Amino acid sequence: MTAAELAALNPDAAARGVSDGPELPPHQSATYYESPLLKRPHWEWNVIVYLFLGGIMGGSSSLVLLADERERGGRVLARNGRYLGVTLALVCPAILVSHLGRPERFLNMLRIVKLKSPMSVGVWGLVGYGNLAALSALGQLANDGIVPEWIGRFVPKPLLDPVLAIFGSFIAGYTGVLISATAIPVWAKGKRHIPALSVCSGVASACALHAALLAIEGDFPETARKVERLELVASLAELAGLEHFRRYAGEIGKPMFDGPRGRKLRTFTQFGGILGATLLNLLPGHSRVRSVLASALTLAGGYVFRETLIEAGKDSADDPRAASRQPE
Amino acid sequence: MGPTMGNGFFTDTTLCIGCKACEVACKQWNQLPADGYEFSGNSYDNTMALGGTTWRHVAFVEQQAPPDEPPSESRWLMMSDVCKHCTNAGCLEACPTGAIVRNEFDDVYIQPDVCNGCGYCVPSCPFGVVDLIAHKDYDAGRGFVSDGRTSDDATQKHGGIAGKCTLCYDRQKVGFTPACAKACPTESIVFGDVDKLKAQARKRVETLTARGVPAYLYGVDSGTSVGDLNAFFLLIDRPEKYNLPERPVLPSTHQPAGYASGALAAAALAYVGFLIFRR
Repeated sequence: MTAAELAALNPDAAARGVSDGPELPPHQSATYYESPLLKRPHWEWNVIVYLFLGGIMGGSSSLVLLADERERGGRVLARNGRYLGVTLALVCPAILVSHLGRPERFLNMLRIVKLKSPMSVGVWGLVGYGNLAALSALGQLANDGIVPEWIGRFVPKPLLDPVLAIFGSFIAGYTGVLISATAIPVWAKGKRHIPALSVCSGVASACALHAALLAIEGDFPETARKVERLELVASLAELAGLEHFRRYAGEIGKPMFDGPRGRKLRTFTQFGGILGATLLNLLPGHSRVRSVLASALTLAGGYVFRETLIEAGKDSADDPRAASRQPE
Repeated sequence: MGPTMGNGFFTDTTLCIGCKACEVACKQWNQLPADGYEFSGNSYDNTMALGGTTWRHVAFVEQQAPPDEPPSESRWLMMSDVCKHCTNAGCLEACPTGAIVRNEFDDVYIQPDVCNGCGYCVPSCPFGVVDLIAHKDYDAGRGFVSDGRTSDDATQKHGGIAGKCTLCYDRQKVGFTPACAKACPTESIVFGDVDKLKAQARKRVETLTARGVPAYLYGVDSGTSVGDLNAFFLLIDRPEKYNLPERPVLPSTHQPAGYASGALAAAALAYVGFLIFRR
């Protein structure tokens, strides 16, 4: 049908610029009615929150290892890290259980160890971390005089701190592997970026939370400055990684970096959480309010990064062209 | 009884007449709920996709002849789609509970009593086959409570587990042909030993090629990381016209790069951390 014939038949549609079919004849249309080839992931807020808290949990145990417990600030940092670690180790599995279709079958994941499945490996990492973090927190409780001191003697602290840091780093990173080891184009395309970004975001968020805790609890400018410096490095690495991923992913990265979702990521993560917090931390002098504000910005940015990642995956699944020639 | 090699489907799309008997037979035998009365407007396809409770789906591709060619050049391609039962199955590898197994017939099978509804198999299928469904036990005695096509998280809230074609595991166990192949009136869907099916399919390709039809097998010797498909197809147009991926990639192949990326970032930050804190 020509445009003139269409205009004669349906002047309304012609006026609105609507044709009665695609420009190309159907035999040249590349996909199946533009309908999605892949299934959308079902993951909702619980998985996003888990990714966010898991990152903090991982970064936090690295800070425990780094803290110099010979000075007061270092002791406070390590104590906070140990208590935070065990708290998140309790919260994270609870969130994971809540997202399962059959929550009572969380235990089904503990019937096998499957190295091929990042989710199975991750669950075992979480179980290992949780038990060790509980032990580590017990030692801290003994140290703080909340439980009898002799209990602390059974806690092998010099061994526990590095092992927990390794477990924690794994938990901060495996979620990135889990996401990119799928058929979802934007996630698969990010196999070299997303795990590293997850680690950087986790460490930056953990540093931000600890900096805020240090600022609220008292005056430890020396320790706080060190934590903020590590946050700065992790944040800048995340910023560079995000930008590199955007350029590398190109068309496939659009669900993540374009439109309202891309704007939200730029506002909260790249601008607010990374640049904003960095500038606040770099200002001369030390202010408690400013420190807490910078931390809040970084934490919000960290959450938005995880949210963007998951939501972009859903839209990416809807793109039949990207799904037809899948990223190798 | 007791086959030594794998069983699968050979779906010859040139023989498909679009009757959807396979869809109906599958729904009936497996007691799956209806898909609802949605009108897609896309030829005769109102099913539109495979889903958690839709295990056969007939695709309809209408191809009009270009204006300068006779109308006889028009084509109507039909294809009955199904779970591919991949040699290297993404869903099976991703499953953290071991619910998804390869059974004695070499088919990929989800054990409903082991699945915990984590949903990781859903984005791990390069063909977009498996999806979450409400669990049968969820609403005592009511059977499935939602149709398998929903893409929201309703199914997870309703005791969701993963669902897809079982290649009629129960029928195979007693020596029956799967319901879809049994119902197919034109033998477009053939069930049997995969090696024998491949030999049959190659012969069919030769016959069609001799007649000038550009036929080829999809999922046989394709050299992709998913390997050969136990349910493979004979196609006469590009895969994406039938909504099949032109280049499916096994998701677990992304893992080495992923773990390396994470480890590298963690090591680098740990090093920087030591420099900052030990000064």
